[in-house]
Amino acid sequence: MTAYIEILMMLLILFDMALLGVSRLRTCITVSSLQGMLLGVFTVFGHTHGITLRILLIAAATFLLKGFVFPRLLRRSIREANAGNELEPYVGYSMSVIAGLVMLGAALWLGARLPLSSAIGIPLVVPAALTTFFTGLFLIIARKNALTQCLGYIILENGIYVIGVAAVVEIPVLVELGILLDASVAVLVMGVAIYHINREFDHIETDRLDTLKG
Amino acid sequence: MQYTEIALWAALAAPLCIGLLCTILPTARIALGVMCGCVLATALAGFFAIGAVYTSGTVFIASSWLFLDPLSAYHYGVLLLVFCLSSAYAWVYFSQELRAGHLDRRQGRLFAGLWCEACAAMTLVLLSNNLGIMWVGIEATTLVTAFLICIQVSRQSVEAMWKYIIICSVGMAFAFMGTLLIAASAKGLDLASHDALLWTVLRENAQRLDPRLIKAAFIFLLVGYGTKAGLAPMHSWLPDAHTQAPSPVSALFSGFLLSTAMYCIMRYMPVIEAATGNAGWAQRLMIGFGLFSLLIAAVFIASQKNLKRFLAYSSIEHIGIIALGLGIGGLGVFAALFHTLNHAVCKTLAFFAAGRLGQLFGTYDLREIQGALHRSPVWGAGLFLAILALIGVAPFSLFMSEFFILKAAIGKELFLVAALLLIGLGTVFICALGYLLPLCWEGAPREKSEPGRFVTGEAFLVYIPLTALLVLGLWMPEPLQSVLQKAAHIISGAAAATSLAGIRP
Amino acid sequence: MQLSAFTNLAFGMVCAPLLQGIINRTKALIAGRTGQPLLQTYHDIYKNLRKGAVYSTTTSWLFRAGPIVGLATALIALAVVPANGCAAPLAFTGDLLLFAYVLGLGRFFTVLAALDTGSSFEGMGASREVFFSALAEPALLLGLATVARKTGTLSLTELIAVTSVNSPELVLVLAALLIVFLCENARIPFDDPTTHLELTMIHEVMVLDHSGPDFGFIQYGAALKAWVLGSLIIGILLPAFENSWPLSLVSLLGGMFGLAVLVGLIESGMARLRLLRVPQLLVAAGALSVFAFMLVLR
Repeated sequence: MTAYIEILMMLLILFDMALLGVSRLRTCITVSSLQGMLLGVFTVFGHTHGITLRILLIAAATFLLKGFVFPRLLRRSIREANAGNELEPYVGYSMSVIAGLVMLGAALWLGARLPLSSAIGIPLVVPAALTTFFTGLFLIIARKNALTQCLGYIILENGIYVIGVAAVVEIPVLVELGILLDASVAVLVMGVAIYHINREFDHIETDRLDTLKG
Repeated sequence: MQYTEIALWAALAAPLCIGLLCTILPTARIALGVMCGCVLATALAGFFAIGAVYTSGTVFIASSWLFLDPLSAYHYGVLLLVFCLSSAYAWVYFSQELRAGHLDRRQGRLFAGLWCEACAAMTLVLLSNNLGIMWVGIEATTLVTAFLICIQVSRQSVEAMWKYIIICSVGMAFAFMGTLLIAASAKGLDLASHDALLWTVLRENAQRLDPRLIKAAFIFLLVGYGTKAGLAPMHSWLPDAHTQAPSPVSALFSGFLLSTAMYCIMRYMPVIEAATGNAGWAQRLMIGFGLFSLLIAAVFIASQKNLKRFLAYSSIEHIGIIALGLGIGGLGVFAALFHTLNHAVCKTLAFFAAGRLGQLFGTYDLREIQGALHRSPVWGAGLFLAILALIGVAPFSLFMSEFFILKAAIGKELFLVAALLLIGLGTVFICALGYLLPLCWEGAPREKSEPGRFVTGEAFLVYIPLTALLVLGLWMPEPLQSVLQKAAHIISGAAAATSLAGIRP
Repeated sequence: MQLSAFTNLAFGMVCAPLLQGIINRTKALIAGRTGQPLLQTYHDIYKNLRKGAVYSTTTSWLFRAGPIVGLATALIALAVVPANGCAAPLAFTGDLLLFAYVLGLGRFFTVLAALDTGSSFEGMGASREVFFSALAEPALLLGLATVARKTGTLSLTELIAVTSVNSPELVLVLAALLIVFLCENARIPFDDPTTHLELTMIHEVMVLDHSGPDFGFIQYGAALKAWVLGSLIIGILLPAFENSWPLSLVSLLGGMFGLAVLVGLIESGMARLRLLRVPQLLVAAGALSVFAFMLVLR
């Protein structure tokens, strides 16, 4: 069982690397949906509290939301905003992958220091979660396209979710709050916000949102 | 006790429901009126509950997931005060907007609904004992206020809203991670799982929490809630949001939304301090962030061209001062809490005046708004005195609270901190005066434009806050002092040095 | 040094050009053609060896040395790589570094010979080749370092003797090594071996001016290089049969056959990448190696 969870975590990190290195937005969305499905599977097996109805519901919700609903909404936004590829991000793709490796190193170092690892029992979980967290943060900071920033936010949430499931899944409501955060922010607010941005500006390149300065 | 509980539930539920109702009312005016009524009713229920807390002690409801203790009661009082003033101002401001045709029915109803929901969300934050629910409340305020910013849609307001959403959502994600880590650190305590996130429980058992996890958690929490509070370097959403939002919303933001986020940090501080062995680790972080915010704000204030943006940076400065006071501890905590009240009152007044003057002049550009005192004596004087109070001129109460913080810093022999505080305050003082004098006096009105139409009694929106600031600056009423002492006691966990004897100038 | 080691060496030398034939046959079958005979590469090498060479007057001794050094280094590399479990003829601690850098030496001389001609086509191909192998080298070395760290030895023979794919890190290493294999042997998606446009070539254009026996050496050297890198991959992939020499030979041959078919499938399924994208793919391979290395380190 430990070996399978390790493989899941390695896949999670590989998906993060893929997200950093790929420029096509649709491919990124597909990778993020695969990551969401992986998280659904992880929810069932990634902790020591057994399989209860609540856990199964959370797993199903995560699987559906992150695997299908969010990608669908993002693809629809792409269609409406006519965005396609990322054009010249602040940090190039090869540099992003290298930055991802640095973040992985930092996550491994941090994971060894936080006593969470011993509580969870599988040493790769916390570093993988932190890598996902940092990857999401990096995508938000280093990319110009508003949709990629949205995607970065979803990835950020994935990282937090992994830690939530692994460490504190027994506390009622907490992990559900995380999912709710994802749903509310990524879907409702950003979707509507991108709609407004697109309508007002005819583009969704956030580096061109620069009328307010100083 | 039962009445208090009913009052608290009413205070929570009323804005929530009436907000939804406001979105379906027939006209914007009616919606605004219902909104004002709702806020007034909530305020009555709220002050009743606050009074009960200070006479009989902490009130718990909803199986201890919600509570009202002296600290949250104090903040709740400030919240209600700010909301009442701002709602009255919103009525005045939007009456003018409706007359000028800048506000249509949909926007008016949306505004009223979101305003009430914002009140409900902030009440939830203040009332929650469960740290997860507290986080939900702040998240809800982010979502609601984001749409309040772009009520009047334009390029700049959409851009401001986007920055706000992205930056504050990332901040909220950080805060959520911090909450998870706090919950994880409580695992070793073998608490019942539905108790694990309760602040009261964590506070009692704080010494047994894992210090490494707690430190990591606090860093995430400070960055997360600090983003919402406007601490530098996470403050970049703040100037844009304040500038682009309509003035009542700006007043609400600066008046209380920032303080709500600071309240959350205040809640965590005693837990962190106890868990790390009272070594002052969290306090040093707070001092660092506070000084950084103060100095950044001072630098940016030097080059402002927009009145509301200037006021926004002033908010960052004052939030930095509050954080600094919290970090210094002792008398500093008392002063920080006092400063919360003073800043709330003063900043709302400043934004009220800025908003009305903006409507009169048609712009917020500092080079265009000249001779405000000629144009509108009441609001011009209001702006003038408000900005004077903000930069710390005696005898207004902001001077007193800043003086206490300085005294606390010197008392704890943090001389570098005191020096940096003085430098920051001095820079802001000089730059602000440079803007202020032309703003109020220079230049006769270029053309005799029609005097603005005023709603009856809107001058009270200037008189009431000014009077409060003057009175508090000269005399600290005994009830207020005991309220502040009780609240400070919760944060610092020991008797804060609050003796005021011999400090009066 | 056992007899089996030399037999493996002989097998490698004989069977290496067959790989090219299998790849071409696979591509042809998928495209619906019959394709070249399997032994075509042998015929080509023999034909070139019998021809006379033409040397340009602008070249120097480097031009003549290039193919010879390339062949020599390929043979040394062949001597170092074990055949799936049996000891290599030239085994010692640290021979994996020798392996990586002797291939580098061969590449260096090929590039020098290309630059020696003074022609712009060769220069262009040389610069691309060097660029790609500079990016591929960390992937190769870190991949080998990961396996070395995991097994605790620096000798290829012992390394391959104990390794088979029994942990996820090795899967990552294999993926990285496969990409490096495609890059070093100038296959799609890095270079199209069937292109006839010099501007799009990388490897073929470097050897454009060689003729006769030199070109024969180059072709044979390239086949040996493919065999050597392939047997490295197969050695890590498949478990070793320590005591049974025929079994390990058969597994090696089977593995190489499978690898050649796989390369043929990849070549049929993909088009060549834009030059801008190639560094990204190589950085991805490097990232896989670094990731595997970090996992093994902790």
